[in-house]
Amino acid sequence: MVITVQNSIYSVLFLVLSFVSASSLLFLLECEFIALMFIVIYVGAIAVLFLFVVMMLDLKTANMGKDTLKYFPFGSFIGLVFLVELMLIISENFKSNPYNKDFLFNFYTNWYDKIDSLTEIEAIGQILYTQYVVQFLIAGNILLLAAIGAVVLTINTDNSKLNKNQIIFKQLSRNYKNVLITSKN
Amino acid sequence: MMTLNTLLFKEVNILPELFLGISIVYLVLHCTFLSMQKSFPLIQNSVLNLGILVLFFVWFLLINDRLDVLSFGSFNNTIVFDYISFSSKTIITILSALCLLMMSQYLSDQKLNHFEYILLILLAVLGLFLLCSSNDLITAYLAIELQSLSFYVLAAFKKNSTFSVESGVKYFILGAFSSSLFLFGSSILYGISGTVNFEEFRDLFFYLVPGETVNPVTEVSTTFSEITKKIMAPNFANTGLNSSEINALITECKEFADPNSIFTYEKFFAYHYLYSAIMDNLMSSGKAFEVTDLPYNASMNEAHLELQSCKPDPETKSNAFRLAWIYLDTIMEYLKSSKCTDFDESYQKNFILSKTSVDIGLLQVGLMFILISLFFKLAIAPFHVWAPDVYEGSPSSSSFFFSVVPKLGIFVLLLKIFHYSFFGIIDYWRHFISIVIILTILAGSFGGLEQRKVKSLLAYSSISHMGYSLIAFSTGTLEGIQMLFCYLIIYSFSGLCIWSIFIILRLKNNYESKGNKDLTDLVLLSKSNRMIAIFFATVLLSVAGFPPMIGFLVKINIFLSSMESAMYFVALISILCSVVATFYYIRIIKVLFFEKVLVGQLYYPLNTQKSLLIVGLFFSLLFLFVNPSLLFLFSYKLSLLVNPI
Repeated sequence: MVITVQNSIYSVLFLVLSFVSASSLLFLLECEFIALMFIVIYVGAIAVLFLFVVMMLDLKTANMGKDTLKYFPFGSFIGLVFLVELMLIISENFKSNPYNKDFLFNFYTNWYDKIDSLTEIEAIGQILYTQYVVQFLIAGNILLLAAIGAVVLTINTDNSKLNKNQIIFKQLSRNYKNVLITSKN
Repeated sequence: MMTLNTLLFKEVNILPELFLGISIVYLVLHCTFLSMQKSFPLIQNSVLNLGILVLFFVWFLLINDRLDVLSFGSFNNTIVFDYISFSSKTIITILSALCLLMMSQYLSDQKLNHFEYILLILLAVLGLFLLCSSNDLITAYLAIELQSLSFYVLAAFKKNSTFSVESGVKYFILGAFSSSLFLFGSSILYGISGTVNFEEFRDLFFYLVPGETVNPVTEVSTTFSEITKKIMAPNFANTGLNSSEINALITECKEFADPNSIFTYEKFFAYHYLYSAIMDNLMSSGKAFEVTDLPYNASMNEAHLELQSCKPDPETKSNAFRLAWIYLDTIMEYLKSSKCTDFDESYQKNFILSKTSVDIGLLQVGLMFILISLFFKLAIAPFHVWAPDVYEGSPSSSSFFFSVVPKLGIFVLLLKIFHYSFFGIIDYWRHFISIVIILTILAGSFGGLEQRKVKSLLAYSSISHMGYSLIAFSTGTLEGIQMLFCYLIIYSFSGLCIWSIFIILRLKNNYESKGNKDLTDLVLLSKSNRMIAIFFATVLLSVAGFPPMIGFLVKINIFLSSMESAMYFVALISILCSVVATFYYIRIIKVLFFEKVLVGQLYYPLNTQKSLLIVGLFFSLLFLFVNPSLLFLFSYKLSLLVNPI
């Protein structure tokens, strides 16, 4: 849908959807931290950046639906090739359950895991707030610095606003005769 | 007793950094609430004085922190507190306070009216502090980011000047690129070693004997003493043992099971290698054996642990050793039985010690990435192209700060990584650095010849000086480190002198806000202000390395230390280039004194406070020539304490 939708804003939104679904796959694999990072970075930063770019570019939605049929046979051929390769790889690698052969395979439930287990985020948080507290503080300082810097570089004080005011009468009354003389405002 | 209770934070060991960070936050709040009024009061001068006050307190806390031990790690050994970080932090504080004092007039002239300028400088100083005391790559990275992010904003601070914004963007892009290189290199190092801590790097790699291939063993020695001699020899990792020697060793070692035998250190050593080899074999043989098959497995580990942590008296040591040996013997018998047939060859393969298995090539790649990123920050030759542009474009006060303060901190980090952690493989990074040195000195000396702007000229001069201090860095001797510190201190203080003279000279003409000064703006300074022209010329000569100043002494000592470690070619090239570089310093002097124009420039008179400071700086440089042993002793102490092994 990301590449087939005509409206570019919709396509960016579909891109966000695909990021979210990828991170939900990571959630299913119990990698919560990476999944959340995925959402924060890809959706929060990159996709929003794309959205801004798309909004600024002001693209015209041209109708390109006619051409899609032309590419259909070639595209479906490539898709078939990839499907066959994927099937081959799966049949090669997953003949049996790899866990059964493993040294660590255990039929019984590990009760320690049930009782004492921490999720990834909890573990990372516990390390971050105890062992790496200085680094955490430095990162906070960097954020403060980024905020200060962004404010400094973008702020418009009243002073500069006054200078940029447009005096239309002065502009219109300007002609080639008084150009060299008018030095005073 | 009473003092201890009042200063509980003293235990934390980062009290100066903590104080600086908290006071920055307070300053942010203070200034924001003050400037929220509609009249936009210009509080920038008062904030500048507050910043100097904060730096003074930080300095006071620093020198008040008595350093009783050689080095002391805190926060899980990520922050280290040793003499080198202590003294470099002291120097950085003094330098940045002087910088702030000098730039106050310039800031109000150029209408850089935002109070944030001072806050950014304080944040950069905080970053440099953390950089000096960091003991692992993560902290170092965060500190570099803190420092360089504030530098990007400082470079782009003058928003209405296109040059300033352009130089800020240029600095930002290149700096972000080099930071990413640093991260990549440290991730490679983490992949190899599993740690990011400098001290653990040292423990891992200091005794490393890098070797590409393992030579086949030629002579066969059979008696125990010969084998032990072979093991104790320094090139053992390259030779290894062959199977008959191992068998002889095993039979010899068996007598340890006998309680009447005599315990010697050589035998223990041989045992230790045997044990580690066998454990490696167990780990990597790939045989699917169950651990429970081995008898007394747990107790053998215990015995080994006991052996490692054993008390110094020989009686218990030998007992634990015997205990361990009995179980070791059982394991070997088990391995030699039919269950594990290819024991002998894999055993021998693993016996050729696991030391060569560290991939030096990959390690080198990681180190090179870190080096390159730090060279970007230092503006060293193949990575120096941004420096003259950024120095030229950004406001003079910012480039003043860039060129004087941060070099020392980054060199401390370089020393920590390369002299503290990876000194064992010095031969692998030295050659790269010597190529870079030659390029840097060539670029710094010949690039400055064409310059007409003072700031670009000073940028090229700082590039070539970084080259000279890299010479001292790459010698790898104690004298080299000593000279590195000498040179950096002298470079910083004479740079401070030159830049402050440059920044407080204000032309009396229509273009008061004209930021960039050409060489011609200094024409016949000697006529209008004779004293400052003499100071300027003398410090320039000192920087160029003319004999009657301290710059000459440190420079010649750098060349001497490079010749001591047989870097003749580098020394030759750098001496020749230093002659070339003298040209552009002398050209400034010629412009100051001997230009043939009728009318010189007029300048505003100098402020008393600033002129006093400049006189003080100048006379301290003169004094250091009269009595350089002060500097040399200080830096000698520093160099002795870099490697507390």
